[in-house]
Amino acid sequence: MKIIKMGMPIFLILLSIVFIIGSFNLPKANLGNPNGPLYFPIGLSFLLLIFSVLYLFQELKTLNKENKKITQMLSGRTPKLIGITVLLGVGYAFIFEIIGFLFSTVLFLGALLFVVNGKQKWKVNLIVTVCFSFLSWYAFSVLLGVSLP
Amino acid sequence: MNNYLEGLMTSLEPMNILWVIVGGFLGTIVGMLPGLGPATAVAVLIPITFGMEPISAIILMAAIYYGAMYGGSRSSILLNTPGDGSAIAATFDGYPMAQKGQAGEAMAISAVASFIGGIMAVIGFVFLAEPLANFALKFGPAEYFLLMLLTLSAIVSLSIGKMIKGFLAMSLGLLLSTVGIDTQTGVYRFTLGIPHFSEGIDFLIVIIGVYAIGEVLYNFLTIDQLKKEKKKVGKIWFNKEQWKRSKWPILRSGPLGFIIGVLPGAGGSIASMISYSTEKQMSKKPEEFGKGAVEGLAAPESANNAASVGAMIPLLTMGIPGSGTTAVMLGALIMLGIKPGPLLFENDPTTVWSLINSMFIGNIALVIINILLVGVLVKILDTPAKVLYPIIVLLAFIGTYTLSYSAIDFFLLLVFGLFGLMLKVLDFPIAPLVLALIVGADMEQNFRKAVLSSNGSIDIFFASPISITLIFLTILSISYPAIIKFFQKRKERKNININM
Repeated sequence: MKIIKMGMPIFLILLSIVFIIGSFNLPKANLGNPNGPLYFPIGLSFLLLIFSVLYLFQELKTLNKENKKITQMLSGRTPKLIGITVLLGVGYAFIFEIIGFLFSTVLFLGALLFVVNGKQKWKVNLIVTVCFSFLSWYAFSVLLGVSLP
Repeated sequence: MNNYLEGLMTSLEPMNILWVIVGGFLGTIVGMLPGLGPATAVAVLIPITFGMEPISAIILMAAIYYGAMYGGSRSSILLNTPGDGSAIAATFDGYPMAQKGQAGEAMAISAVASFIGGIMAVIGFVFLAEPLANFALKFGPAEYFLLMLLTLSAIVSLSIGKMIKGFLAMSLGLLLSTVGIDTQTGVYRFTLGIPHFSEGIDFLIVIIGVYAIGEVLYNFLTIDQLKKEKKKVGKIWFNKEQWKRSKWPILRSGPLGFIIGVLPGAGGSIASMISYSTEKQMSKKPEEFGKGAVEGLAAPESANNAASVGAMIPLLTMGIPGSGTTAVMLGALIMLGIKPGPLLFENDPTTVWSLINSMFIGNIALVIINILLVGVLVKILDTPAKVLYPIIVLLAFIGTYTLSYSAIDFFLLLVFGLFGLMLKVLDFPIAPLVLALIVGADMEQNFRKAVLSSNGSIDIFFASPISITLIFLTILSISYPAIIKFFQKRKERKNININM
């Protein structure tokens, strides 16, 4: 839990440092004030750094205080659900344009329903997968004229 | 008057009425899902508007918004689980009413209160929107920059107790808005050499990622704990005594909610809480509040619907969203090619007045949907979240694809979904991030235009009474939590002295 609590401020501090370095290295403008595009990012990067450091101190003060939400996120089947949803999303991104909307959606939604809703409810999962995939294809592609692969 | 009539005729077109009903119904369903509020409803349902006429699309969006506001209170009453922050107050007395077997009465009174609050606010909108738009025409780049600063500071300062996190979210949102080609000079900023980033990070992807994917992932934390409660709804109407107790709280809370909604930063949650506590203070039976007092449900319901209409005023007249949901709405409007701001009333009056008239129709449609179709809505509420959440994830993906027809955006969607989850778990306010990302680019451009027009001097920000007022209000809003703390401590000290 402490890793997650400390992870965010450290991530934000590192991010602000990356932005500070990146801001100072931005190309100068050929039009108008050459430094015009630099001021805002530089100012904001420093602002982010200041608040990230303050946040770090704030977290250090309450490091041993329990955060119920972090505990919940790490317990039971929650981490598995989150991880698999993200992985399935990545897979969906890879196959979406290759095998087309309808087939990739059936695979993605079906797999997600089996993971979230459980294997025992396979009948519901299958009906929802087939019906919703087809309905969404029909609604977007046919009714709304959205071009889907 | 001509513009008004033209807008009325457009909003009365059969297709537009149909869109109001469809939007209201879909919004109610998404808003009813525990944990998902109006912002998520609008974000998830954005793709429905693709390929539609802008006027129909904006009418649909508004209907989804109000539908979700209605929906949020259904789950508050039936499950004690508010759809979003503005529906929390509905749990205080709505759920106890349902436990006493008065779920039907509670839902009817909340629908009628929302309807009256909404209608009162729409009337306020009709009278206030155009004068405000005319006033906004006096704004130059300096005033616009300061107005955006005030909106951001107001939304951060309202996250009392987590202001550092609010400022962090705001800074991050502003910083992300600098990614892409600088429109004034053509300089590429933070694109990492990836052509996809040259137009910046599409804030709609961030919105859908944070509000749809992030919320669903966050709801996975409690997905196995959601209890299935079968509620007996009973008769969907209220009795004379209940109406007698509710009518004045409804009529008082409508205007109150509307004014709170117009203020930058303050939204439905604050409006409903203030109206609840006001009614409790004014009540002859304050001890009944929290135990199923009908006025304790009616007042916040009227206030939060009125606030949601009020929040549309700064959005449409100045292009400044005052809350997370209106920020999502702004994103959707920009995507549809509608640029909110004072000129919208001059350039595109039909769109504005069609929207305003559709709000009347929408409120009427929603009260009918929420009373006549209550059986269907309760059945939908019985649909397991475990089935609905995967569908919402899928809709988020489809919505993202339709933004730029590229599956590469799916990766960005997942990144922001995970980031949204972490923000929620670590108790960060999300609205400042989204709001800052949306107004960030305009804020920077206005700042630079103002400085450029004054030959590099920052005196321009103190040059007009409007600017000075905005600076004063910004300082006031940032110091607001400290002021509140000071008065609370003083009160505590006084109480201790009295007790001694």
